[in-house]
Amino acid sequence: MSLKIVPQNVEIRNNKIEFENLLFFIIDSNSNTKIEPLIGYDAIIIDAKDADFAQLVLRKIRGHYNPEFYLKPVFLINYKESKDPILHTMNDGFIHSYDQLKEIADIAKQLFLKTTQLDYQPVATFEAQIIKKVLNYMYTRDLKTLKPIPDLNSVIGYTYPEISINFDSTEESQVLEILEWGEKEGLIWPDFYERIYLCNQCSGGFLSYREVCPHCNSSNSSAQDLVHHFPCAYIGPISDFRNNVDNSLTCPKCNKALRHIGVDYDKPSIIHHCNNCDKNFQDFFVRAKCISCTQDVEVQYLIPKSINIYKLTKRGRTAAANGFLSSGKEVDDIFGTLSMPVFKTMLHYEIERIKENTEQKSSIAIINIENILELYKKIGKKAEKTVLESVVNLIRENIKPTDFMAFENSTTLYMCLINNDFIQTESDLTKLKSLIEKLIKNNFNDFEVKINFKASLLQPFNKSEFQLDELTKELFD
Amino acid sequence: MRFIDEFINYMSSVDAAKLFRMFWFFFIFEFFRFFLVEISTIIFWKFDSIFRKKGIADARLSLIKNQPLVSIIVPGRNEGKHIYKLVNSLKEQTYQNFELIVIDDGSDDDTAAICRNLEHRGMITAFYRNDVRGGKASAANLGLRFARGEFIVHFDADCSYDRDAIENILVPFYYNPKIGAIGGNIQVRNYKESLCATLQALEYYDTISIGRITTGELGIYRVISGAFGAFRKEALDRLGGWDIGPGLDGDITVKIRKLGYKIHFEPTAVCQTNVPITFNRLIKQRLRWDKSLIRFRLRKHRDVFFPNDSFKFSNFISFMENVTYNLILNIKWYFYLLDMVFNFTSQLIFIIPMNIVLYTVNNFMKFLVFSPFRDRKNEGITYFLIYIPLMVFYFGYFLRILRTVAYVQEVFFKASYKDEWNPAKSSRQAKALKL
Repeated sequence: MSLKIVPQNVEIRNNKIEFENLLFFIIDSNSNTKIEPLIGYDAIIIDAKDADFAQLVLRKIRGHYNPEFYLKPVFLINYKESKDPILHTMNDGFIHSYDQLKEIADIAKQLFLKTTQLDYQPVATFEAQIIKKVLNYMYTRDLKTLKPIPDLNSVIGYTYPEISINFDSTEESQVLEILEWGEKEGLIWPDFYERIYLCNQCSGGFLSYREVCPHCNSSNSSAQDLVHHFPCAYIGPISDFRNNVDNSLTCPKCNKALRHIGVDYDKPSIIHHCNNCDKNFQDFFVRAKCISCTQDVEVQYLIPKSINIYKLTKRGRTAAANGFLSSGKEVDDIFGTLSMPVFKTMLHYEIERIKENTEQKSSIAIINIENILELYKKIGKKAEKTVLESVVNLIRENIKPTDFMAFENSTTLYMCLINNDFIQTESDLTKLKSLIEKLIKNNFNDFEVKINFKASLLQPFNKSEFQLDELTKELFD
Repeated sequence: MRFIDEFINYMSSVDAAKLFRMFWFFFIFEFFRFFLVEISTIIFWKFDSIFRKKGIADARLSLIKNQPLVSIIVPGRNEGKHIYKLVNSLKEQTYQNFELIVIDDGSDDDTAAICRNLEHRGMITAFYRNDVRGGKASAANLGLRFARGEFIVHFDADCSYDRDAIENILVPFYYNPKIGAIGGNIQVRNYKESLCATLQALEYYDTISIGRITTGELGIYRVISGAFGAFRKEALDRLGGWDIGPGLDGDITVKIRKLGYKIHFEPTAVCQTNVPITFNRLIKQRLRWDKSLIRFRLRKHRDVFFPNDSFKFSNFISFMENVTYNLILNIKWYFYLLDMVFNFTSQLIFIIPMNIVLYTVNNFMKFLVFSPFRDRKNEGITYFLIYIPLMVFYFGYFLRILRTVAYVQEVFFKASYKDEWNPAKSSRQAKALKL
C-alpha cells in the first residue's frame, strides 16, 4: 500500500484521492491499464511522466463507447509538451502538483454538471453513434470546432483528436467518412483547410510521388537538353553534340561548332531517357507509391479528400445536448426488416389480434450487440451494412416468416414473434445469440461479440410504445 | 458571230508552216513534253508493269514476311485537331508494324494536350514537342532522331491515307534495293469545296499522278512530297535528315539521289490532302514552292550541273528538265509573247483565241487519254470535263505569272529567306551560310 501526504492534508491511498466530495483516481506507469474499474471514480489523474503510457490510457478512456468513460474528467500531472495530439488535446487540464487539486476539482464539477444535462438515447447507425459521442464531448468541453492537426502517426497525415480517438491510427480514413456523414446530416459545417490524396487500396496518405517512364513505370531515368542547330536543322540530345576531345559542342550533322545560344542554336525542350527500358520520352507519368501498403498507382486514381475545419451548426449544438434523430437510412434499407414506424404499426395490429384471440400468445424481444461498434470501427462503414444483413439473414432463417423485426439502431434490434410463448421465445433467442456470436467470430478474426437480449409476452391491453420502452429499460438497466 | 466567221476563215487560210510559226511554243515544248513524252512513257510503263507484276508480288511477300518496323513521323504545328482522325485511320492500315511519332513544333494551341493524351492512351507511340518553334525540318529531324524503324514514312497530319497506302509505299523497297526513297500519290480530297480546289484537283491529276509516273519511269522524279513519302532510315541518317526549308521535300530528294539511291513514285500508295480553297492562299503556297527552284536547284545544288566526283547523268537530266520546263520555258514564253506582239500584231486578235483553243483541245485530249491510266479517281470524268476550259487560264496564265513573280523575288531579293514559314532565326543562319 502506498501512502503519500500531499498539501492540504489530502491523502493519496492506493492511488485514490478524495477531495471536495470527489473521488480521483491516479494512474501511473505502475498501474493496470484496464479502465473498466474506473467507472466508480469521478475524475482521473494520469501521471504523464511516461508519455506513451499516458497516451495509451487516455486513448482507452476517451475511445470507450460508454459515456461513463469517455466523458470522464481526465487530468494530467507531470506533463511535458508532447507531440501527440491526442495527449495534448483530449485532457481536461494539467497540474504540476497536487496543490492544484482545487483547480481541477472545480473543472471536474463543471464537467459533471454538463454531463448530466446530456441525452443518451441510442441513435441509428455507427456513424451517428460516433458523431453523437463527439458532440457530447464537445458540448461538455465547450468546444466549437473540430480542427485537423498534422500528425505523422495518422495514416492520412492528419488527425481530428475528438474523433480519431475512436480509431486506430491505421483507420484514420474512417474519420473522414464520419465527418462527411455529420456534414450531410447538417450537424457540422466544413471550412476548407487542405486537400489530401489517399491510396486507393489502403487509404494511406503517406505517398511518395515519382516521375516515371510512361512505357515501363520505372523512375530510373535521366534527362538531357534537346539542342537545335539552326543552320542545318539538326536536333538531338546534347550528348549528340558533345565532343570527346574537349568540352565544345559540335553539330554531328554539319560538323560546325555551336557558338552562341539563340544565334546559331537553342534548346527548345528536354528529353528523358529511361535507363530501364531504353526508351525516350518527354512527358513522364507521375505515380504515387503508398508508403503503407507499397501500392504503386497513377495519381489520377488516388482518392482526393478535403481536410476541413468543422464548426458545429445550430442543429449540431442542439443535438449535442438533446440528442438527434439521424436519417438512419442504412439500417432501414436492410432486406428482411421493417422501419421502426412500420414495426410499431404492425405491433399495434398484433396487439389488436391477440385481443380478439386471447388464447394466442405472441412475444416481443430486443437484441443488443453490446460491443459491435468496436467491430464497425475495424471494418468500416461499408462492411457495417454487410454485417447487419448477414445477421438479419441468419435470424430470418431461424424464425417464422410471419415474425417481423426492425433495427432501432445498428446495435439494437426489436422483434415480434407471432404465436410464440415466452418460454419458446427465450429458447429461440438463446439459440440466435449463439448463432450470431459464431457468425461474427468465424468471419472477423475471432472477434467476440457480447449479445444481450430480453423478451416479454405481448400484453393485449398495453400500448406498443409502452411495451417496447419497458423492454428496453429492462435490458439496459 | 461575225468574229467567229472571220476567225475560222483566217485559221483555215493559214498553212502548216505558218501555223507552226505562230504556235511554235505550243508545238515544240508543251505538246511534245506534256503530251507526247508523257503518253509514250505511260504506255511503256503500263506495258512494263505486266513484266514487273511477279517481281512486285514477290516484293510484297517479302515485306509481309520480314515485317520491318516502320517509323511514321508526323511533324507539324497547331495540327492537334487532325491527329485523332489520323490515329484512327491508321488503325485501318493493312500494314501494322509501325510506330507513330508525332512532333509538335512549338504549337500555341491545344496540340500538346491532345497528343499527350493520345500518347498516354497508347494511340501514339511517342510524342515530342519543341517548346520553341524550330521549323518543319527540325521537327522532322527530331522525329527521325528517335525513330527506331528501318523505314521512315513522313506524313502530314491533315492528310488521310488509303488502307493499303503504307503497305504499297513500302513494297518498292523490296522490289529494288537501290531505291532510297518513294513518293506517294497525292490526291485532292476537298476538290468540291471551291473552284480553286477543283482546278488544283485537275492539276494534281496531271502533274502529280501522271507527271510523276512519267518522271519516275524516266528516272528524273524530283520531289517526294512531305504529305506522303517513305525513306530508308539509313539514307536519312547518312544525310542527317532534312535541311531548312521552304522546299525541304525537293531538297531531301536531291540529297538522296546524290547518295546514289534511286527515287521511285508509287501511284498505288494513295494519300488524300486538302488544298487551299482560296486563290489568296494558293498564291502564298505556290510562291513558296516556286522560289525553291531557284534556291535549291540553282544555288544549293548547282554542283549537279557540273562534272565532278559525284556527277550523275540522271541527276543532271532531272535538274535540267526541271529548270528547262519551269524556269527557261517560263522566260521563253515571254519571248513568244513579244514575238507575237511585234511580228504578228495585226493577227493577235486571232492568235490569242487560237492559242486558247489549242491548249483547251490539248487539255481535253490529255484528260481523256490519261484517264484510263488512273486507277483511282475522285469523281467521274464528267464532273471535271466542264472545268477543263478553265485550265488554260489557270495553268497557262495564272500559275505561269505566279512562277515568274516567285523567280524574280528569289533571284533578286532572296525572298525565301524571309518566308514566315520558317523561323527567322533559322533563315538568318541559312542565308548567312548560303544554304
